[in-house]
Amino acid sequence: MIAGLNKELNMLEKAATEFSRKILFPEREANDTFPFGPFFDSTVEKAYSVDFFHTSIPEEAGGMGQGTPALSVILEALSAEDSSLAGILFTVSAAVDILAQTGNMDDLKALTAVKTPKDMFIACPVFCNPLDITDLPQAKKTADGLSLSGSLEYLTLGGLAKKALIPALVAGESGFSYVLADLEHPTVTRSAPILSLGLRACPSVDVTFNQSPCRLVGEERKGETYFTAMSDRMHVAAAAMSLGVMKGSFKEAFEYARKRKQGGREIIRWSELKMMLSNMAIHVKVADMLVAQACSAMESAAPDRAMAARAAALHVQSLATELTTDGVQAMGGVGYMKDFGQEKRFRDAKQLQALLGASPVKRLRYIDSL
Amino acid sequence: MISKREIKAFLAKHPAFDDISVSQQAVSKQPSAMLAETRKVVAYARKFNEEVVRPYALTLDMTMQENPAHLPWEFVKKANDWGLYTLWIPKLFGGKGFNFPSICAFLEEIGSECLAMANLIGVHYLGFAVGCSSWNVRLIKQLCADTLQGEQSGEPALISLALTEPGAGTDVEETELMDKGSVSCHAKKVDGGYIVNGTKVFISNGHLSRWHMLIAYADLGKPSSSTVMLAVETGTKGFSFGRMEKKMGQKGCPASELMFDNCFIPDENVLFDAEQGKKLKRGLSETNMQIIDFYFAASRAGVGAFGVGAARGAYREALNYAMTSELNGRPLIDHEWVQCLLAEMYKNMALGRFAYLEANYATGMHGMYKLLQQKQMYYLTKLTPKFVIDKTILPLLDKPWVTALMRKAYFDMQSEREIDITSGLASLAKFSGTDAGIRNCHLALELMGQSGLRHDRRAEKIMRDAKLLQIYEGTNQLNRLNLFKCLIASGTPDVKMFGRQ
Ligand SMILES: Cc1cc2nc3c(=O)[nH]c(=O)nc-3n(C[C@H](O)[C@H](O)[C@H](O)COP(=O)(O)OP(=O)(O)OC[C@H]3O[C@@H](n4cnc5c(N)ncnc54)[C@H](O)[C@@H]3O)c2cc1C
Repeated sequence: MIAGLNKELNMLEKAATEFSRKILFPEREANDTFPFGPFFDSTVEKAYSVDFFHTSIPEEAGGMGQGTPALSVILEALSAEDSSLAGILFTVSAAVDILAQTGNMDDLKALTAVKTPKDMFIACPVFCNPLDITDLPQAKKTADGLSLSGSLEYLTLGGLAKKALIPALVAGESGFSYVLADLEHPTVTRSAPILSLGLRACPSVDVTFNQSPCRLVGEERKGETYFTAMSDRMHVAAAAMSLGVMKGSFKEAFEYARKRKQGGREIIRWSELKMMLSNMAIHVKVADMLVAQACSAMESAAPDRAMAARAAALHVQSLATELTTDGVQAMGGVGYMKDFGQEKRFRDAKQLQALLGASPVKRLRYIDSL
Repeated sequence: MISKREIKAFLAKHPAFDDISVSQQAVSKQPSAMLAETRKVVAYARKFNEEVVRPYALTLDMTMQENPAHLPWEFVKKANDWGLYTLWIPKLFGGKGFNFPSICAFLEEIGSECLAMANLIGVHYLGFAVGCSSWNVRLIKQLCADTLQGEQSGEPALISLALTEPGAGTDVEETELMDKGSVSCHAKKVDGGYIVNGTKVFISNGHLSRWHMLIAYADLGKPSSSTVMLAVETGTKGFSFGRMEKKMGQKGCPASELMFDNCFIPDENVLFDAEQGKKLKRGLSETNMQIIDFYFAASRAGVGAFGVGAARGAYREALNYAMTSELNGRPLIDHEWVQCLLAEMYKNMALGRFAYLEANYATGMHGMYKLLQQKQMYYLTKLTPKFVIDKTILPLLDKPWVTALMRKAYFDMQSEREIDITSGLASLAKFSGTDAGIRNCHLALELMGQSGLRHDRRAEKIMRDAKLLQIYEGTNQLNRLNLFKCLIASGTPDVKMFGRQ
């Protein structure tokens, strides 16, 4: 539905859907074996070659400068088959958003000048709100700049990226700041990839800094402002990912229910299952409308766009976890097996619900900002 | 105030008082020593959890992710060494003879730490329950003897249930559906036995079991009245294992494909078939449903207990997280909304437990557990020395009249209402407990945010493991329908079920 907002989005949706079906779908099970199997480099390269990574980078930095709706269209279409790639794009886009807010064009230009797609990765802790972390790393001022010490859990893309955007407390001050750290510096220790519930090919690591050189991004103590502004936009993208998962899950279950027979008839003809599928279809429709509406508010710079985005994300993420639970259920035993996409969607939907912070805390913050 | 006749009439109105007061009726009837026994079982489970399950749960799950073909013999052997595969084998058959309902308390404990390991133990008793539901005492004795021997030799001899087929999952759990569906595992009667052809899928512990309780059909067009229950031993000619499924969770417990290609099973391994069924009061199709109800009444309560275990594991991880995290400068657990969330999780777990307890009370009064829970029988078996049992009772169990007697007592003397109440409450326990499990997993993961997503913090594994519980032993949809059939429709005879016109 987002694609209906304009022609350009429509074209993007077609391209992303084709990518999803032709590139992501056939390798879905194999890609999901990471970290036990290889990382899906060739898929990432293909995504890079069709400019998915450039979508949200500002034009003046060599990107396509397309807004959140465009990013959302892509992420939704990809997530219908496999949300890991969408998770990577989401993480990079969140970091790009913060860098762009701070007017940090040099770093953004450097991103578009890279030789390999992985060099475009910026690690960023996207499954939390830094405000909720009690012991953020500390950055100390030294003669050469800033030196970072301490640990940060669950840094997404931390094992693959060279650079990371880290929320840190600049010594002696309250309110966090963002710093850019070099993850390949010898003072930085990264854990093995963390085995996670979902989005396994968009891995996270725990990271420890020991007087590691880093550079301030934007203004000191303004991390919360940057994070809030970023998440106001990125909540729509997060909702779009959950929507994609919902669409994929419904489609798979619906198709299966029309073929699988029990009790001498297609299972869709058992009205209990039909009711389940109907509820799924209704959830998909409602979520689709919500995300489209939130995107439209964003396109028209409506004054309540941030609240629309957050409400849509919270609601759609929750619907997605319910729907994917039924998505497995509707297929019985095979829904639980890796040969089908349903079990992965169930895991991914739950993982996606934690984007930008724990769900109940996001809910409480919603009313705080009214 | 009210006449006797009125009392009777009012109490019979839907919902019948007998249906909603099962535990109150059962408590005074069952031996009081069962409680002390259950305490012992729970303590033993907690010890096993501390020493074996918790330290190994994440490693086993990780091993299976790395190498999905791994067979967890190391765990099965440990469980065997701890005597867990004979704890619930009745003393009459040489086992340790703990009361059957205590297995649910045990499975809740183990399930709260690792559902895959709980399944590696529990499925053996599902297989055993299926064997028992045939009331073929001679074969039950043999299965028990093998399990005991496996314990002594250190070579576990487990039992599995092979019911589900590629084209028939829900269908094989309900006779009405079975006849409309398309079952395909064929057992052809030949001289001296049956020849079996067909495939069974998703069989838990398949690759690990010595014995398989195979459900096949002599007439594929009329399976409900031609069901053949066979005890098939691993290694039998014509029987082989196919693939092991790649599952989302419960990875430590294999789900196997079992293939039968002109596999000859001798008469002595026939647990039950139409020929034997003819001697019973009910028609073959009704008897077949009664058998299904016998074993599922026991095992669905067990799956309910797994679900409560999942609910409890999720609750435990959420509580730990709340106690060790902060929000807005205050411990998370001091926030009112967190306290209510934990109370909700506690409630889910507790209600699931009440449901499986109630189901077990029903099975104790009216179902499979009845005989051994009668006070005289219970104390007799408990107090009689083993050598006396071995000498006087064990030899009798091979006699055909013992089987005939047991079948008379269990099949013919069980009333329709007794079948309904045991089967209906077991379905209630199954879907309540397992829905509670999934619900608590959702709540725990939401509370824990990114911490809940990590394998090393356990909650995500509980969630992956728990989803299976809503599917096997009849999907929760089928169990809702079964509750309707047993506890609601039985009072409204004109109701049509399963699409019957
Ligand atoms: C990991 C695992 C382990 C298992 N272990 C064992 C085992 O040890 N032994 C064994 O025999 N089996 C085992 N099973 C099989 C299990 O019991 C079946 O998967 C289950 O009964 C559902 O059957 P199905 O998978 O064929 O789903 P289906 O029967 O195809 O059902 C698909 C969907 O249709 C719905 N449906 C079907 N019929 C109806 C109807 N009449 N009315 C309304 N809805 C309907 C179901 O509720 C479900 O949502 C296991 C399964 C799994 C996944």
